[in-house]
Amino acid sequence: MKPVAEQELIQQVIGWVKQNGLNGASHTEISESTNLLESGLLDSFAFVDLVLFIENCTQEKLDLLDVNPEEFTVVKSLCHLALQNGH
Amino acid sequence: MMPQRSFRSLFRGFLESAEGFPQRPALFVDGESLSYANLRRIVCKIASAIRTLRSDQESFSLVAVLAYRSKTAYAGVLGSLAASKGYVPLNPKFPLERTLQMLALSDCTVLIIGKECLPQLSGLLKAADRPLVIILPEVASLAELPSRNPHHRFLFADQLPSREDFSFEENSTPASFAYLLFTSGSTGIPKGVPISQGNVRSYVNYICQRYNVSEHDRFSQQFDLTFDLSAHDMFVCWERGACLYCVPDNSIMAPAKFIRDHELTMWFSVPSVAGLLSKMRLLSPRCFPSLRFSLFCGEPLPASYARSWQAAAPDSIVENLYGPTEATIAIAHYRWDSQKSFQECSNGLVPIGQIFEGQQFSVTDSHGKSVPLGDAGELCLSGSQVATGYWHNLEKTQQQFVRLPGADDRLWYRTGDLVKQDESGNLHYLGRMDHQVKIRGYRVELQEIEAVLRRACGTDQVVSVPWPVHNGSAEGVVAFVSGIKTLDEARILASCGNLLPDYMVPRKIYLVDSLPLNVNQKIDRGKLSSLLEGVA
Repeated sequence: MKPVAEQELIQQVIGWVKQNGLNGASHTEISESTNLLESGLLDSFAFVDLVLFIENCTQEKLDLLDVNPEEFTVVKSLCHLALQNGH
Repeated sequence: MMPQRSFRSLFRGFLESAEGFPQRPALFVDGESLSYANLRRIVCKIASAIRTLRSDQESFSLVAVLAYRSKTAYAGVLGSLAASKGYVPLNPKFPLERTLQMLALSDCTVLIIGKECLPQLSGLLKAADRPLVIILPEVASLAELPSRNPHHRFLFADQLPSREDFSFEENSTPASFAYLLFTSGSTGIPKGVPISQGNVRSYVNYICQRYNVSEHDRFSQQFDLTFDLSAHDMFVCWERGACLYCVPDNSIMAPAKFIRDHELTMWFSVPSVAGLLSKMRLLSPRCFPSLRFSLFCGEPLPASYARSWQAAAPDSIVENLYGPTEATIAIAHYRWDSQKSFQECSNGLVPIGQIFEGQQFSVTDSHGKSVPLGDAGELCLSGSQVATGYWHNLEKTQQQFVRLPGADDRLWYRTGDLVKQDESGNLHYLGRMDHQVKIRGYRVELQEIEAVLRRACGTDQVVSVPWPVHNGSAEGVVAFVSGIKTLDEARILASCGNLLPDYMVPRKIYLVDSLPLNVNQKIDRGKLSSLLEGVA
């Protein structure tokens, strides 16, 4: 499978959040610096679904056991982490 | 009424720990550790400030605390209790309208505000229906607040009395308020549950002994203060000189690293957290070696979660706790046993187990008579942990707090939970007898959501359905609306968000031609759920 570029993954994540997010996500502006939890766009359940979606896109498992939360709640850093994990 | 000398109030529990272990850590919050001596210093200043209000404020028994995962949140709770007042936790994550409703219903005129809640304060002050006294223990004077809000009085950090001005007087009795919590109400208005010092004291004594809590323990504090399970974290911990670790907001979703970094010994959460960690592969075998006890409460515990957690924390005892807010935190327990518990589970759910020693229960039919062993019935509870009624709501009190036919004069709380007792004495939770659901552990009356939806949509034809539901627990709610031509989903969701906490705001709203009815001409919620199966 062709590796996913970070920008491409960011766009896929934003699209996913718009479709599946909470509190009117489809009508909210979401950028790569959006904090998905603080903004209320995702709750913890939806976040897990997003992680599974990202794993599906990258075909890599995301290991979050020893990662600081601030590193994976913002769109850009989450995507960066997802791609870094696999390399 | 004169205080009973032998009664040990919740604050006395903290105070004796502070005297016994002044230099031990009492609280870790916001990256900072506070010793018992330091926390006591802040608490005494707050309590002293509340006391000064005695002379110029009408008599009051409750103090509201609007603070979130901060020093002020915990010191505010303790400060209220030290001044012999009960506390009313407010939540900055709730919409302003709901906070105002809770404030008005509680009759509170004194509020302790955390600096993290200043953004909410202006709106609250503008809309408050009475003059308030605002205590800001961590905020230096802000001239614009008093000048913009001349009807309210402010006590800033530099105006609080010194710690030496306070000496604790034990004025609390078992009947004094410990806290007043609000749960979802079917009429659309939150329902107040007043819990007494005696109720919590019974719970704390029982739990401290059962779990052999000591000053070496490190407790998780995961629940918002508006969730009554937070009272377990605080009061069981401080009773024995242990340290409370407030899980930061950004770690709540994935607290595995927090448990490991702080080597927590006592874990307490809703089962959904175990489910999330499991789904994110964060429950690897032996990943939580420090835990002594892992407690779950608030919603049904699936056996698969208990098993995974046990493997992740092999040295910890895993227990399923059960209890409605009206029975003070929890009133039944079941200890997970990897060898035999699977056979004791029904429908893949861990039993709620046995009622705490000293508390009473009855499984009754619709006439309030005990059912034979093994039959399903409503769980009724009585004893020193059980409240005596709702806050300013006689009708609801008379419905739920009753005397059972053929029994003695004692008052029983009808939980509305359907249970059965097996031959070994374990109780099993079977479901609700009404439209109450648990969403992520929070108690939610679907009628309350529907009342808000009706107003927002301008039609009576609305229905809300818990969705998705896994292992008997809902992750959220979705709504169906009929009787209108077009649906402005964004506006309606915004309107719901202004009145309801986020876990009660529908995730989606579907416009349908008509709402399906069952043979009794009632809305067929099951059919709506099966429609959702189709779109999932």
